[in-house]
Amino acid sequence: MSSKVLAFINFKGGVGKTATVVNIGATLAKLHDKKVLIVDLDPQSNSSLWLMRPDRWHEHVAKGRRSTFQIFDDALQGKARFIFEEALVKGVVTWTGFTDLAKLHLLPAAVELLRVEDRIHELRPAVIYQILDSALGMHFKQYDYVLLDCPPNLYSTTKSAIFSADSCVVPYVPDYLSLSGFQVLAEQIAEMREKFAPHLPGRRKPNISALIVSHYRQTGNVFRLAVNELELSMAVLREKGLLSDQAALLQPYIRHCVRVSESTSEHLPVILYAPGSIGAQDFADLTQHFVDLFERKK
Amino acid sequence: MNYLDLANRLSQLGERLTKTSDKLEGEDLGRSAAKLTTQLTRFEEQLENHLASRKSGELLLESLLRSPASKKHLTIALLKLGLREICAKRLKSDDLPGAKREFIELIHGSGKQDQGVRFLKEAFAKAAHVESGGKDKALLQREFIHLGQLLEEEFTIEIGSRTLTELRRLATMNGVRFSDKTDRQRLVVLIRRYAQRAAFNVGTARVPSRN
Repeated sequence: MSSKVLAFINFKGGVGKTATVVNIGATLAKLHDKKVLIVDLDPQSNSSLWLMRPDRWHEHVAKGRRSTFQIFDDALQGKARFIFEEALVKGVVTWTGFTDLAKLHLLPAAVELLRVEDRIHELRPAVIYQILDSALGMHFKQYDYVLLDCPPNLYSTTKSAIFSADSCVVPYVPDYLSLSGFQVLAEQIAEMREKFAPHLPGRRKPNISALIVSHYRQTGNVFRLAVNELELSMAVLREKGLLSDQAALLQPYIRHCVRVSESTSEHLPVILYAPGSIGAQDFADLTQHFVDLFERKK
Repeated sequence: MNYLDLANRLSQLGERLTKTSDKLEGEDLGRSAAKLTTQLTRFEEQLENHLASRKSGELLLESLLRSPASKKHLTIALLKLGLREICAKRLKSDDLPGAKREFIELIHGSGKQDQGVRFLKEAFAKAAHVESGGKDKALLQREFIHLGQLLEEEFTIEIGSRTLTELRRLATMNGVRFSDKTDRQRLVVLIRRYAQRAAFNVGTARVPSRN
């Protein structure tokens, strides 16, 4: 199986990173029959808490053992306590108490990930980059898509995710603060590409493949102007060699939808919770374009 | 509880029943066992149907017909076209729910679930496709940034040579909103303002901001 490993990153918070990961992941599994793994790397554990009830999540990741924290802790302690099959959560539990979306798997995060950054610099940078790839690379092959939900920063966990990914997807909110953040992000990823190069012989170097706009509103021209400035910025970054020509601004833009917010409390992706909502419709169309982009049908 | 937990529970129950079957008796237990047997029969049927429809592609076909993409893009005309292309049959239903049911039945009857899935996926992908604006848009965006970089006098000269239609196209392609009543003078002001803003925000401005 040829898997596509994609890091969802933006060091600005509140841009819809988790919503994008969870709902694209669920739509890929439900409507495209793809086997998907979501890897939650954010100490806030938002992907995990979106897809798991809190009691179940607490029990599953108790002391960080069956979570992505264990991968980093093992690297720090020089141990091998992380067991992929034990940490894996298969499907999402619906109101029936039984699972749906059998092809959607989750590696949950734990708040203990907060402690990782304090100690990780004891390791050499080259070791840090390769932590996730060494622990999970062999398992990624079982999946069509692996979606890495990164924390809103560019520290070690995120760098390790970018290293293990084939490319990066940037969720984006159409406003100037996101725009300025995106310009810095593109520079940082270009810098990482240089740093990673010696460690990635024969592999595709990290780059930004797609941008996804969320929290979009069609009223007035505020958002249209902001999206236009993003497109202009992409053109400038391409000219500077900081963004590849293939980087795509995916459509449709995800409109603000209360049902998506509500679905977090139901611990279900919106495609299961409110399949008729505009949020579900936008994610269905977006995921179609996502598949087209990464499977190069067009 | 997940399906694996249920499987384990049923296995344990099976083992226990096997070991103790010769000691089990009484009306209450018998009535409960009869109820469980009825439920199990129903569950076995549903399980068989589910696995069979999964294997044949029917489950995915049904999922697609119930999907958010279907709600947005599916029409009776599309189902008619699909049936004609896939199995050369005519759709009789006039309403969408009925047409969906008929579509599934006819596709299932002809054993062409995979083609049905492919047809719907392609149709939804086509319906969701958005024109990028192409080279024309890229040119007009470049022009917009260029206008934002100009000094006041340069801008006045440059913009003076454009027709109102050209200005409208430039504004539309760059997200500047205007109405049919917006005159040339107002449109120029809007373009100047937002082109300058864009030049500053994307870091290509060559004149200092006045704000």
